[in-house]
Amino acid sequence: MRQYGLNNPFSRFILFAIGITGTISIHSADFDQDIAPIFVRSCVECHNGFDLKGKLNLSQRNSALKGGKSGTLILPGKPEESLLWNKIKNDDMPPDKPLDQKEKKLVQDWISEGANWGTNLKLDPFEFTTKKRGGYDWWSLQPIKRPNQPDITKSAKWVANPIDAFVLAKLKSAKLKPSSPALPRALIRRLYFDITGLPPSAKEVAKFVSNPTNEAYKKIVDDLLSSPRYGERWGRHWLDLARFGESDGFERNNTRNNLWPYRDWVIKAINDDMPYDEFVRMQIAGDILKPGDPVGQKSVGFLVAGLHNTVVGGSEFMKKTARQDELEEIIGTVGQTFVGLTVNCARCHNHKYDPILQKEYYQLTSAIAGVFHGERNVSDPELERQRKSLLTQIESFSKELKLIENQGRQTVINKRSHGKETTMPKPPKPISRWEFDNNLKDSIGNLHGKAKGSARISGGALLVDGNESWIETNSIESSFRSKTLEAWVELSNLNQKGGGVIGLQSLNGATFDSIVFAELEAHRWMSGSDGHSRTKSFRAKEENFAHQQPVHIAIVYQEDGTVIGYRNGVQYGKPYKTNLQEFFKGSSQVIFGMRHKGGRNNYLKGKIHRAQLYDRALAPNEIAASAGVESSFVSELELAAALSKTKKTKRMALKDQLTGLLARQKELGKGSKMKIYTVAARSNPGKVRILKRGNAMDEGEIVRPGAVSALRTFSSDFGIKANASDSDRRKQLANWITHPKNPLFNRVIANRIWHYHFGTGLVETPNDFGFNGGRPSHPELLDWLASELKTNGQRLKGLHRLIVTSNTYRQAAAPREEGLAVDSENRLLWRKSPVRLDAESLRDAVLKVSGKLNFKMGGPGFRDVSVIPNNGTTYYEPIYPIGSEYDRRTVYRFSPRGGRSAILDTFDCPDPSTTAPRRAVTTTPLQALALLNNKFILNKADAMANRLKAQSNGNRDKQIEQAFLSAFQRNPDSEEMLLAKRLIEDYGLTTLCRSLFNSNEFIIIN
Amino acid sequence: MKFLDNINRRDFFNWGIRGIGATAFTSLLASNTKAHAGLKHDTFPNFTPRAKRAIHISLVGGMSHVDSYDYKPGLDKAHGKPLGSNEKPDIFFGQVGQLRRSDFKFKQRGQSGLWLSSMFPNIAEMADEMTVIRSMTTNSANHTPALFFANSGFEFNGFPSAGSWVSYGLGCESETLPAFVVLGDKRGGPNGGASNWTSGFLPSQHQGVELRTGKTPVRDLFPAIDQQEGSDKAARTFLKRLNTLHADRNGLDSILSNRMRSYELAARMQLSVPQVSNIKGEPEHIKKMYGLNESRTEDTGRRCLLARRLLEGGVRFVQIYSGGPIGGSPRASWDAHENVKENHSVEAGRIDKPIAGLLRDLKQRGMLDDTLILFTTEFGRTPFAQSKANQVGPGRDHNKYGFSCWLAGGGVKPGISYGQTDEIGWKTVENPVHWHDFHATVLHLMGMDHKKLTYYHNGIERRLTNVHGQVVNDIFA
Repeated sequence: MRQYGLNNPFSRFILFAIGITGTISIHSADFDQDIAPIFVRSCVECHNGFDLKGKLNLSQRNSALKGGKSGTLILPGKPEESLLWNKIKNDDMPPDKPLDQKEKKLVQDWISEGANWGTNLKLDPFEFTTKKRGGYDWWSLQPIKRPNQPDITKSAKWVANPIDAFVLAKLKSAKLKPSSPALPRALIRRLYFDITGLPPSAKEVAKFVSNPTNEAYKKIVDDLLSSPRYGERWGRHWLDLARFGESDGFERNNTRNNLWPYRDWVIKAINDDMPYDEFVRMQIAGDILKPGDPVGQKSVGFLVAGLHNTVVGGSEFMKKTARQDELEEIIGTVGQTFVGLTVNCARCHNHKYDPILQKEYYQLTSAIAGVFHGERNVSDPELERQRKSLLTQIESFSKELKLIENQGRQTVINKRSHGKETTMPKPPKPISRWEFDNNLKDSIGNLHGKAKGSARISGGALLVDGNESWIETNSIESSFRSKTLEAWVELSNLNQKGGGVIGLQSLNGATFDSIVFAELEAHRWMSGSDGHSRTKSFRAKEENFAHQQPVHIAIVYQEDGTVIGYRNGVQYGKPYKTNLQEFFKGSSQVIFGMRHKGGRNNYLKGKIHRAQLYDRALAPNEIAASAGVESSFVSELELAAALSKTKKTKRMALKDQLTGLLARQKELGKGSKMKIYTVAARSNPGKVRILKRGNAMDEGEIVRPGAVSALRTFSSDFGIKANASDSDRRKQLANWITHPKNPLFNRVIANRIWHYHFGTGLVETPNDFGFNGGRPSHPELLDWLASELKTNGQRLKGLHRLIVTSNTYRQAAAPREEGLAVDSENRLLWRKSPVRLDAESLRDAVLKVSGKLNFKMGGPGFRDVSVIPNNGTTYYEPIYPIGSEYDRRTVYRFSPRGGRSAILDTFDCPDPSTTAPRRAVTTTPLQALALLNNKFILNKADAMANRLKAQSNGNRDKQIEQAFLSAFQRNPDSEEMLLAKRLIEDYGLTTLCRSLFNSNEFIIIN
Repeated sequence: MKFLDNINRRDFFNWGIRGIGATAFTSLLASNTKAHAGLKHDTFPNFTPRAKRAIHISLVGGMSHVDSYDYKPGLDKAHGKPLGSNEKPDIFFGQVGQLRRSDFKFKQRGQSGLWLSSMFPNIAEMADEMTVIRSMTTNSANHTPALFFANSGFEFNGFPSAGSWVSYGLGCESETLPAFVVLGDKRGGPNGGASNWTSGFLPSQHQGVELRTGKTPVRDLFPAIDQQEGSDKAARTFLKRLNTLHADRNGLDSILSNRMRSYELAARMQLSVPQVSNIKGEPEHIKKMYGLNESRTEDTGRRCLLARRLLEGGVRFVQIYSGGPIGGSPRASWDAHENVKENHSVEAGRIDKPIAGLLRDLKQRGMLDDTLILFTTEFGRTPFAQSKANQVGPGRDHNKYGFSCWLAGGGVKPGISYGQTDEIGWKTVENPVHWHDFHATVLHLMGMDHKKLTYYHNGIERRLTNVHGQVVNDIFA
């Protein structure tokens, strides 16, 4: 950055001016030396070629002399008659900050002396950095040159990699020394929280502490970077920048139920170490770069993750203004996030602090003019993949579960029959069997079922609701004459009429034999048939049990036309004789839950637990055998009693997992499409005009899509027409941002990574590399990191590895007097500053330490807020539901705008209204209250206490040890042990756990 | 503890009696870095304040000025005539019916002779304490952006509200109460909810703290699940010792000592908050004065009384909302699209007596001298009916071009009006006061230069007044 002074850059124009005038004289006011800086700094901002206030252009000689609306400006030699002098003298101009006496005198003298000006010299207000604004020569706009490591430290022992060399050089110049290395326990805790956002386990800490070598450390670094927890932690950082919010904001603040695929995409991309340039291109133009691939629709969620005003009002002005606000919100976030430029500040006028023209702002909005908020239905191969893997899992778990249960049942049955004489033959073998445990498949033959209506598997049975819900199979593969139908069925109620359990029918339903309940006689089973042509009453007793427990019903159709009914293995009423109906292969099928196709009062209400089909008439003892296996229905109590403890636990675990998986299966839905909140692009958004003073109704000249020309080493012209397509515009924008010659692109991300590792960036304003932002504390180090990123293929994991293996990072955190005295903010990195856990890490750490953390990744967020729509506005109130779904990592929380628990609020989690590159770290009594009293904390303290109790057999010392090991990964010392013992004796283990969650050691990471 | 001096300078405690600028810090880079959020600033107040604290009464939905504080004989005369303009006004529904006279009677009040209507009979008795601004204007005729604007100077979510800025500048007079407290209408939060009292990008301690009724007036003030008696105290004692041992081992960083201090203050807050919010001990005649004995004024009365108690306890800025969510039927806000007379009579009835009581009470205690009362609405309502062009319907649409707000106490000139709308009350024609000007004036009254009260955020030294704002000196006493 250069500033006007003795070595001022205008001096080169002095020679030029001398050349023109041909005279050499010493003036008391020299244009280049004195006047040009005043004009550039105080006048040209408004009176220039782009924005002619008072129709005056002071940036060129001719126009300056000519003057503006108020007439001639300068009469050379006559200051008192010059408008310029009068305006300046009376402090009319510049309007806000008048010139000082010295400056005034210079202007007066300059006019008196003839107001000389080089003929072709045009003052560009952006040419040079002044005391008030940045110019083209601003540091961050200059190309990145890979700096050499400082020489002096090459041999220093402390230098583990070049980072340390840069840091040490600065420390030396401030006469400071780095701190000693952190102790192994502190180091490893720091690393875990930093990379994964979670504490290590006591074991993991102990392992490293016993062998704290460089190799062991590097191995842990690699392990953590490849853990999926890394993407969750660093994805959360990215979501701060993306102002990721799952409601619209403004008046309605409606929920956004389908923005989470963007969050999942971010986490996955970061875990996959997607090259950073690709990561960025995908977020600007993924839908264009990967047409038809849903991944692109997910990734561009970035553009529309911010606020969306859905009540724009009726007038044209309101509508247009709302759209302009939306564009500013998007391009502002894009500019700040990817290149650290606050381009949004140039909406109404040229940027006040950085060399960005108002025109360039509109070029940029033109680049995103096709971007609108919306939802899209996409086909998702990933969804398909998830479904398949889910199905495989469900099948394998069910198989395992069934194995355990069958063994248990067998034990029960064996016990029951023990001591009894039994002549029961083996159950007969059917040609088809439907278990209905997890699916509709025929486990013997090929007669797999297809569900109709809402028929579905639930709790290991086929559930039909009586409302046109039924199952049909493929057509049969061989013809039937004699046959046996068999099912274990439970009825919803006994008053239903006419529903079929299992039947054989011709494909059109015109001919059928079915097991039917209560069609002709209330409460009784019968064999239903077309027009009752083969139906007679069994003259049996009323059914009064099937609504409480499953019953086994079988009907045998003999070759001679005899029809015999069975209930629970014994004959049901009396057999009767009729004609035999043959069912032909290819034109008949099996049905469940329905009497026959086309009938009235046709449907069954109840559960079919299992069904079998035989291509022959079974003998009575065979029926009994078949019924015996399962009809001796083993109750839950009997089953549980029959299983060993391990088997019982295993069974419960399997059941839990299955419940989760089945719920997830339901979540994924049936169709191959999913809804995503994403860019609803308009392919031809039309021409964009400059809006004068940012007023949506005051249109100026047309601009073509483009970017900021102050980055001068590559073109800011997108080379496309003003009415180019949305895809051309956004592709070009992505190219400009990620251009290898764009110095901001890598500087900004390198600084962000540093910022999150150390708590403060090398530039402490990560979203603003302009004049109003911070200056780099270590400019060479920043450029070295940026160039490192370039040479390693834009891989962020490489950058992390470099940083955390540096000795700079591995310093101790303890305060040192000499360091605090000269650099209390630790910008020179004489130690590693301690870090207060951010809100999410705090919540996640509590979950992990209490033993409740659910590692489930992805999918819709869990909702710990109630969503209350009230007269057009949506309100969100924190709630504290119990269940493992709510014990997921905080990054998977449904995050609407407004309405968070005090834990998130008081620990400085930003409301996602604007991009948040840097979180405040505050300490308040409200924070203490939240951590002491919030329901979440108290619940988890309880959970942790229960876990410890379960693991310790009532041994208090062990409980305390385990509590300290979980929370701090160390043993308590003798005093802590004593105090803790007293505390739990009087107030229980929960109070100890609650206290530990509140301790400095838990929350401040050294 | 030997580094404590240095430490305290570096990392100050984010609470309590100090505002910004009360801390210096040591940094080699300070001189060449402009952006030190919250650290490189003037000390506030930066001149003698006229008001030390404020109560802001915010009417949600848009109060009709021509029916309340802006007397327009011209509108009476023009009743039933068309607006007579070709413009397409930026209102909300866009229906421009005929001009409609007010259904409320105006008369001159008090010594000052201020013209006030019968809508607020009790407040009208306090006319000689009021400074009515009749020339307010705003940017949006849309509820939420307009309410955000009135609160934060911006139409969008995410900008700090005026109370947060005051908290940031001046801090609190008490360590055991928050600087900025919000008292919501019991019918529900205003449109935009908690975003109206957000601290935005300011540190979180400046967020408005909602004080609710019931056992836990501030959330998480007490354990959300009942704990064994005495366990709180035992936990805190244990915690203190644990933290001390930790500091002995690791060195006492300021963040550690600040956290320890925050627990002490939290314990004190558990006493002070219930104390201040318990109004049982107030004498009957005071309760009556605030209308606590009548069902329609009970809600606002309780909150007005609470506001006084909070100020006495050292709170800097209290915000009271009149009106819940926009929309619905019957409406629970001032949004009288259907019928101004009916709606405003109900809404005014809820707040008139309590606010008058508050003014009287503050005056009798001598508090009104250095307490600023603000009575605002996000916009006004149209002088023409919201109906067909040839009709005079009973409802009015939103009016961003001209409306009224009033101030009292805290160094403003009492018993005057400032600025004017045109003859029918449609648009401001004299001394326009935009929200930025209003905010600049409020900050000025509290001893802060609105151009100096800044906070760096994403490239800009942000202000409550954006890049605008003229202090309205004419209304100062």
